[in-house]
Amino acid sequence: MSFTSIAFLCFLMLGLLVYYLVPGKWQWMVLLAASWVFYYSAGWHGFLYLAFTTISTYSAGLLLGKLNKARSQLPPEQKKAGAEGIKRKKKWVVACTLCLNFGLLFVVKYYNFTAEALHLPLPSLNLLVPLGLSFYMFQSIGYVIDCYRGKYEPQRNLAKFSLFTSFFPQLIQGPISRYHELGPQLLRPHKFQADNLKYGIQLAMWGYLKKMIADRAAVPVNTIFGDLEAYGGAFVAIAVAFYCIQLYCDFSGGIDIAIGAAQMFGIEVTPNFRRPVFATTLTDFWRRWHITLGTWMKDYVFYPMSLSKPLGKVGKFTRRKLGGKLGKVIPTSIATFTVYFIIGIWHGANFRYIFFGFWNGIIITGSFLLSGPLIALRNLLHIQENSLVHRWIGRARTMLIVFMGRYITRAPRLLVAFSLLWKTVSTPCLYQLRDGTFMTLGLKALDYWVIGIGCIVILTLEWFQEQGTPIRKTLEKKSVFVQWLCIFLPLLILLVMHILGGEYISSEFIYKQF
Amino acid sequence: MEKKHSLSSKGWLWLFAGTVLLLALLVAGFNICTDPFGAFGDPVMGWWSYNETMNPRVAKLSYLDRNHSLYDSYIIGPSSTSSFPTGALNQYFDASFYNMTMYGADMLDVEQMGLYVLEHYEVKNLVVSVYIHCAEVYHTEPNPLTYGMPCKADGSNPILYYGKYLFASPKYGMEKLKAWRSDPYLQQPYRVFDQQTGAYDKSRRDAEPIGSLENYLSRSAYSVFQNYPTGTGSISYLQPCMDSLTRLRDACAQKGVTFTVVCPPMYGQYLEQFSQKDQEAFYNALAEVTDYWDFSLSSASFDPRFFYDETHFRNDLGTMCLARMFEDPEVYVPQGLGRYVTKGSIPGAPHGSKADERTYTTEVPVLLYHHLAETGEGTDIISLNRFRSHMDALRENGYITVFFEDLQAYVQSGTPLPEKPVVITFDDGYESNYTMAYPLLKEYGMKATIFTIGVSMGKDTYKDTNQPMNPHFSLEQAAEMEASGLIDIQSHGYNMHEVVGRDQDPVRKGLLQKEGESEADYLAYLQKDFEQITQAIGKTPTVFAYPYGATAELPAVVLHQQGIYSTVTTVEKSNILVQGLTQSLLEMGRFYMTEAVTAQQLLELLNGESQ
Repeated sequence: MSFTSIAFLCFLMLGLLVYYLVPGKWQWMVLLAASWVFYYSAGWHGFLYLAFTTISTYSAGLLLGKLNKARSQLPPEQKKAGAEGIKRKKKWVVACTLCLNFGLLFVVKYYNFTAEALHLPLPSLNLLVPLGLSFYMFQSIGYVIDCYRGKYEPQRNLAKFSLFTSFFPQLIQGPISRYHELGPQLLRPHKFQADNLKYGIQLAMWGYLKKMIADRAAVPVNTIFGDLEAYGGAFVAIAVAFYCIQLYCDFSGGIDIAIGAAQMFGIEVTPNFRRPVFATTLTDFWRRWHITLGTWMKDYVFYPMSLSKPLGKVGKFTRRKLGGKLGKVIPTSIATFTVYFIIGIWHGANFRYIFFGFWNGIIITGSFLLSGPLIALRNLLHIQENSLVHRWIGRARTMLIVFMGRYITRAPRLLVAFSLLWKTVSTPCLYQLRDGTFMTLGLKALDYWVIGIGCIVILTLEWFQEQGTPIRKTLEKKSVFVQWLCIFLPLLILLVMHILGGEYISSEFIYKQF
Repeated sequence: MEKKHSLSSKGWLWLFAGTVLLLALLVAGFNICTDPFGAFGDPVMGWWSYNETMNPRVAKLSYLDRNHSLYDSYIIGPSSTSSFPTGALNQYFDASFYNMTMYGADMLDVEQMGLYVLEHYEVKNLVVSVYIHCAEVYHTEPNPLTYGMPCKADGSNPILYYGKYLFASPKYGMEKLKAWRSDPYLQQPYRVFDQQTGAYDKSRRDAEPIGSLENYLSRSAYSVFQNYPTGTGSISYLQPCMDSLTRLRDACAQKGVTFTVVCPPMYGQYLEQFSQKDQEAFYNALAEVTDYWDFSLSSASFDPRFFYDETHFRNDLGTMCLARMFEDPEVYVPQGLGRYVTKGSIPGAPHGSKADERTYTTEVPVLLYHHLAETGEGTDIISLNRFRSHMDALRENGYITVFFEDLQAYVQSGTPLPEKPVVITFDDGYESNYTMAYPLLKEYGMKATIFTIGVSMGKDTYKDTNQPMNPHFSLEQAAEMEASGLIDIQSHGYNMHEVVGRDQDPVRKGLLQKEGESEADYLAYLQKDFEQITQAIGKTPTVFAYPYGATAELPAVVLHQQGIYSTVTTVEKSNILVQGLTQSLLEMGRFYMTEAVTAQQLLELLNGESQ
């Protein structure tokens, strides 16, 4: 059941109706039932994977909880020795859970790639990657690690826990939530509040508008990348630009729908995007783009790694040998590279993604290393750190880096990505911009207008948000007519675009012969 | 000063719900008004041929609910059912038929539609067309909008049914409006049904000329017969198919309705995909349910010209099936067409084989003359002596002159033609035809057809001007010639020979549509011309010679609808007439006879072509 299907809207309406009609203590069961129906509609295979992850992480949580409790109940005289033993056991539990789950993820998603890349004489597997696998797996693993750290008491009720792993709005594409934030909300009763429904609907509508733009932006991308020989470098760059629009609108639009849908049930989900187009550095970008993946990495990979004993030793060694700054940078860089390597491979099983992670690692480490000379340059040019010019230079630079990174992820192969980058610079074939090629990419003039105006509207609203203007609060102060227009126009646009882009069975198709 | 309006969240939600409702009502209202599937009775446009094309099941019942008083009999089945022409059904059954053809119909569709008709309308006859494919599929619905059944026939939930059409994409309605605005006269892919009869509108297909087999197979539309694909069929749904038929039979018996089952003709190789065992099982099972007429295989099944594709046959073949059922001696029937199977017998698989083409086709040359004079000149004037030498040559070599109606009798009724038939034609209607050719033909007892230009009859000056031209014979002279039984006067158009310099620019090329002329004006012109020529020659013409040989699809369809059964062009070729295929009389070729053609050359031409 895709978010953009009529079936989903009906499902959501029905879900809300039942949710607010049943007594509060049953509401979580309604959510659980709805989530299972939602996931089951995509096929029962995926359900097995979800059940596996849910049960294994649930059991690990329980075990870790027990071990934590045993540790706290140790008599003072045994505290030190006993704690060591318990810690070892806990490590075993976490290690086994991680192996099981990541092992599964590896087999489903990366096995074929690895076997091929390493030329291993293994038969290839033909497995369907279940929907949202990496999202709910990361979410559940986070829970296990938090349990290991004793951050909270594990959930004892399997059904309640499984609502956490399968909560339908965020099941397919995130955000990756934390148990202590989402769990209690899911289980708590929620009285109907008009505000929640209203804000949820508004956010979801916004998401649908973004999705509509994404659907259109995808067309020229597929056309151009489907026949790269036919287009000059300029059009390749245009395709990548459209791909950037597609990616942002599709992903953030989907997240808006997910957060909006959750909000309709009175549940607040962690935001996943914060206007990444205004990022001034690449690090800033990753704090604004797919935020929950970034914080997950920070909490469960970067810090544990940086603070780990082996890396601590490396740090000591490099500081001693290389001294000062460089010595500090190396251990951080190792952790950074690891994080981006995982982020890269998280996106997909391909060398492109690995390199994509590498590319981000290089830029971030490089900028750290070059920070000294850059500050010197800034001072030389008399540019204030907080000045407008500095911010815009930073934004443009970040956008360019992200833009180049998209060549890597969208190209069919890694080497092709490099040649495309080169083509953009060396043979742009600018004449194609004027010879009507635009109209052969699969979009009509109206579609370009929709994309163009849509992007302007998104950027404008995000700009105001960036300045701290609360959009929805501002809208509430406007006249009823303006508020109505803000309902009517988006709905009308969505309807018209749905009709124009929708399926149509031509009678000519039916009557090839009669 | 900022004006502050407050709209509570609840208020906002009501506004939102109201807006959603408003948009939903707009969509629903638009869908009801345009009603592209005919689910709501098409209250505004009433364009049933369009609606039936989008969904024949829904639209046909919707149409019949309003118009069933016009009909007392129904023929139901998958799309090939449409090739049993309603006119022939009415004639033979002495009834008023409606054709309930549905594309992709399985026997459940047929049963449900049939039961509804029996339950709600007055019915005299119910004819069901069933073929072996009906045992291959059952209860299929490839698309709910275009293949869905009306809820009143299949008993499905009316809320879901009407909801489906109320909130269907308005694109369908928009496409209907677009088609409505530009709808031309010729049948279009978006309206393939004839509203009155319920059958496919075959006005274009029926006006398509057909000649030799090679020519037919070379057309891209019929390439399927070139390399007929092999496949395997299986009759997995034989039982449910027969059960449906049984229930329909019983319902007819209960209502006292005549129940007739026919197996329509199919292309020979199509049946080969079913094993002998499956074929036997199907035809035997059918015999357990009812008596039936089986037209599945005959010699016609092995001549692609009787088919558009493997299961869709031409109307002419459908007419012959009905003639065979009612033993009409006036209609030719191909070898082995039709077997009557009685209930309880074990008929086995149908048999049929290819017939020798020479037994049902004939090659007929048509000669084209114009003006006669003492001395021949150019392409249009032939000397009397040359003409006489041609006639002598024909007579001495055993050629027998025939009229077009003889060709028609051969094709339609199977009346044999002479061994060496030839058709002599004169174009334009010059007085010399009367003064010079006619006496000679009378002397020799030879027949000829003259295609006269109506506006020129009895004139020697060009249309209402003083410009002289060769004199043309008058209506009296024409009547005298016709009375002899040797001359047939036919149409060359009343005013379809405009000449550059003499007529107003831009001149019309023959009967073709002028550039910039609206279709309505053009159709009015064709109609008026037909009425004028009818008056000019004192009878309704049935054969037509295309002025300047210029042909096009639109006038061909119009002529066919005006009752013209044969047309001739100026393409120099001999003609293959196929018994049972009236379309072999269309756009026939003619050999141009000029002074330069000697008697010897004429004979060589006829021999060469007939070898």
